[in-house]
Amino acid sequence: MANLAVVGQSVYRKDANPKVTGKALHVGNIEMPGMLQVAVLRSPYAHARITRIDKSKAAGLEGVALVMTGVDVAKMPGVDPYYGPAFRDQPILAVDKVCYVGDPVVAVAARDQRTAEDALQLVEVDYEPLPAVFDVLEAVRPESPLVHERHRPAKAFADLAHVKAGQQSNICYHFKLRTGDVDKAFADADRVFEDTFSSPPAQHMPMEPHVTLVYLDEQERLNVWTASQSPSYVRTELSNTFSIPMHHIRVRVPYIGGGYGAKLYAKLEPLVTALALITKKPVRYALTREEEFLTITKHKVITKIKTAIKNGSITARKCEVFWDTGAYAEIGPRIGHKSGYTAAGPYRIPNVWIDSYCVYTNHVPAGAFRGFGVPQVIWAYDSQMDIIARAIGEDPVEFRLKPALEEGESFATGTLVRSFGIKEAIRQAARAIEWSKPRPVQTGTKLRGKGIAAGVKAVLTPSISGAIVIMNADGTANVLSSTVEMGQGSETTMGQIVAEELGIAFDQVHIVQPDTDVTPYDTITAGSRSTYHMGNAVRMAAVKIKAKLFEVVAAKLEAHPDDLVAGGGRIFVRGMAERGMTISEIFLAKFGSLGTTLAAEAVCQPTAGHMDPETGQSEKCTEYWFPSATAAEVEVDTETGQVKVLQLFSVGDTGTAINPRHCEQQLLGAAIMHLGLTLFEEMIFDEGQLVNGSLLDYQVASIKDMPESFRPIVVEVPHETGPFGAKGAGETGALTVAPAIANAIQDATGVRIRGLPITPEKVLRALAEKKGEALPQD
Amino acid sequence: MTIRSFDLLQPRSLAEASDLLLKHRDEARPIAGGTTLVILMKQRAVHYPYLVDLQSIPGLNRIAKEVDGIRIGALVTHRTVELSRLVRNSFPVVAEAFSTIGNVRVRETASVGGNLAHADYRLDPPPALLLLKSEVTLFGPGGSRVIPLKDFFTGMYETALEAGEILVDVKIPNMPTGSKAVYLRHSALSANDWPCLGVAALVSKENGRVRELRLALSGLAATPVSVDGLEFVRDCSFDDSVLDRILGIVDEQIAPFYDLRGSEWYKRRMARVFVRRAIAQLESQA
Repeated sequence: MANLAVVGQSVYRKDANPKVTGKALHVGNIEMPGMLQVAVLRSPYAHARITRIDKSKAAGLEGVALVMTGVDVAKMPGVDPYYGPAFRDQPILAVDKVCYVGDPVVAVAARDQRTAEDALQLVEVDYEPLPAVFDVLEAVRPESPLVHERHRPAKAFADLAHVKAGQQSNICYHFKLRTGDVDKAFADADRVFEDTFSSPPAQHMPMEPHVTLVYLDEQERLNVWTASQSPSYVRTELSNTFSIPMHHIRVRVPYIGGGYGAKLYAKLEPLVTALALITKKPVRYALTREEEFLTITKHKVITKIKTAIKNGSITARKCEVFWDTGAYAEIGPRIGHKSGYTAAGPYRIPNVWIDSYCVYTNHVPAGAFRGFGVPQVIWAYDSQMDIIARAIGEDPVEFRLKPALEEGESFATGTLVRSFGIKEAIRQAARAIEWSKPRPVQTGTKLRGKGIAAGVKAVLTPSISGAIVIMNADGTANVLSSTVEMGQGSETTMGQIVAEELGIAFDQVHIVQPDTDVTPYDTITAGSRSTYHMGNAVRMAAVKIKAKLFEVVAAKLEAHPDDLVAGGGRIFVRGMAERGMTISEIFLAKFGSLGTTLAAEAVCQPTAGHMDPETGQSEKCTEYWFPSATAAEVEVDTETGQVKVLQLFSVGDTGTAINPRHCEQQLLGAAIMHLGLTLFEEMIFDEGQLVNGSLLDYQVASIKDMPESFRPIVVEVPHETGPFGAKGAGETGALTVAPAIANAIQDATGVRIRGLPITPEKVLRALAEKKGEALPQD
Repeated sequence: MTIRSFDLLQPRSLAEASDLLLKHRDEARPIAGGTTLVILMKQRAVHYPYLVDLQSIPGLNRIAKEVDGIRIGALVTHRTVELSRLVRNSFPVVAEAFSTIGNVRVRETASVGGNLAHADYRLDPPPALLLLKSEVTLFGPGGSRVIPLKDFFTGMYETALEAGEILVDVKIPNMPTGSKAVYLRHSALSANDWPCLGVAALVSKENGRVRELRLALSGLAATPVSVDGLEFVRDCSFDDSVLDRILGIVDEQIAPFYDLRGSEWYKRRMARVFVRRAIAQLESQA
């Protein structure tokens, strides 16, 4: 990476100042005359038929503009009352039945929030309870109650085109991978290891809960301000749901206060749109934290994993992964697919069998969550890697390094891996934690141990990012991109890429915030895809602008365009800085005026190969990979079971780091998030009723929970088609935290925890069991 | 999250406040710091058409030194207790217990009286206050009465307060001479969480010989427990057999229930561990 001016520099983030000073615009700050506020009545039943709704008292309350039910929505002309990215299964408001505790049933729009909430208490709803199903392993049985009688595929995304209308079953998606002959390998094995791992539902906990504001402008166009990670998708979904042409819908997204996957696809937008269309007034709905718990969760996952060992090597692995996607499929099928095919790990295993089932239950819907399901499958396979290594007397680090895939080797899907720094990540993690340093003999009640875990995620493929770069006559540039700035630093990264390519200063680039009237299509801001996809798009657009500038300079200075370079706000002949022109001079030369602009569009659209539905084999299942490793040192209090994380190293192969500090912050931020998920975060349900649905009872990691020593390590294995070799970093640090900690706990105490979160009580029970104590069932 | 409209009544005296509470009965609730009540009202879990604002009554926000102890007014904030030189010097265990609650902003607002009257089983101050044999003054239609704090807690979110009664202050008697006390809390989830259990212990000694051991525990069941029957420790040393006997007595007097922070089995184990640790900590300071 020779001669780069801005790329590779840890420049300060563009959004730092407005956010720190409180000037940043958020949807919650926007005020409009006559704006209505919304409150939603939610189902107290996990599964029930609605037999009666009486909204008359609520409608009569002064200040109430509208009391709306699912039947009212269904009666709107041209409206499809159901939406969803994989299946159109989620009603805007429950139409005939409710499918989970918290399912929206009635919405009130009123002149202020209190009136709306007062009105809710006047709505009467009668229900007739239906049999419900809560356990994902029970839900897959044919005799279980059906959450949905029919499945209606949405056809919104190319990668989900193969999702089919299911039979009478709660399984809404089944991914299969078959390679080699696992039965034979298990029969021939020296040893077979079988384990079941579980990972609970959890909350994304963005600082800003979901919020959406919709109004009709003077042309009756639908204007949507929303805290969303997918403005382009929201426009498409609203167009499909309400039969409104796309040019009559404008979706804008200002800075959002974190997303982590919670704000993908459509959430509040269809409901608020329906309210705005009927009332013809601006309407805003902002979720409370308590409602946030009832809107979207991380998938609960049960993974059964069975591994064959022959002569110290892994010869076969069979994985059955059950995703509890809750009452509505949301993006569960995509998660079951993308995470499902990685469930055997980044290892050389000749015989692999994977079944990944996305299953409806009567729980809060589950969707994308930083890591997109991959942390749950790594929790299983890299916990088991440690179990096996320790059982057969192998060093856990060497046991991973030996089968870890090398550049150009075949993944379980048959895809050859590229830019795959998994071994380097494992080595760096081992070095950081001083893995090979001899451990002292320990006595007493505080036992220390070290653990390593590794794993890999693949980027969503295919997907699309479009961008437009507009060069101004004074040498500055505007970038039109639908990538959402939600704290990850994309504005800064895109600014660095464009500045680098155009040879201008970083602060001469302005990134226009997502606005579907202006910014081109982008699949989603998620899945660690923006730096690569949008980064490539903005770079290619900048290259096109540069070519236009070069053309003028080449003619004017009688030079060959290939000999020209951009730098310092000028275009000049390579090696002869004085022989060149400023951008303004080029504009004057081309247009005879400074009052104009040069624009160029580019689209980054990586493609995927066909994946065989029976075997999961594909020549190319993904554009690139995110290898991750985490090293942890823990201290376990054997009297209380409390685990203290002393050291944590989060290692990720990000490709070339466009902004190294950002990469480090992403690795750390993701690791902190997953530290809480590893040790205590869990949404606890009792017959579908959430027991700890507020921040009084649901805890996230705070500053007091941080490890004493905590360091990110960026591994840079450049990707040949990434912008300047970059891949992505948003999820990598999340992937391997949980198994690293569980492995360290086993190292310290000899006990193995297979269910997250690793609470003190679970550890203490395991220690007591190991000592042979009789334990009560709880 | 909004609160249904209510009237804020601002009495100028305890008598006036008591009258208002009696008049409106179940429709009224006293409010002090409001850190808990306001959340419950915002969640619309409760609604009171009348809130009786105790902050408008003068004189309830003082910490007063008395010959035989200190008296902390019901409206004194947690933060004031935590930072009070008087409390820190003479009752460090009380300052410690109040300092562990929530965060600084909550402690700046939440009141001592509100904390006790809310009677949440997971609160930190009750064990420390029970340990010191504190008493509470209740003012009501029949005048004032003083009852031991241990009789104040009657159940989950339930207290001895009767209709029209207001908690006025808590009296903490001086610590016995030659005594030390400690409060330990165990968080089973994040470090910021409610305690899984809290244990307060006091040991007093005379000429190096144990005179008294007191123990109080919270977080285990609906009400905090002040452990009885520990008189036998007088003149004993805390060796294994004495500790076993202490732990046996504790085990008999607690009745933990399952909650998000632990099963009955776990809480019993933790009670043993933290009682032992509290005594060990006091012994190591001796």
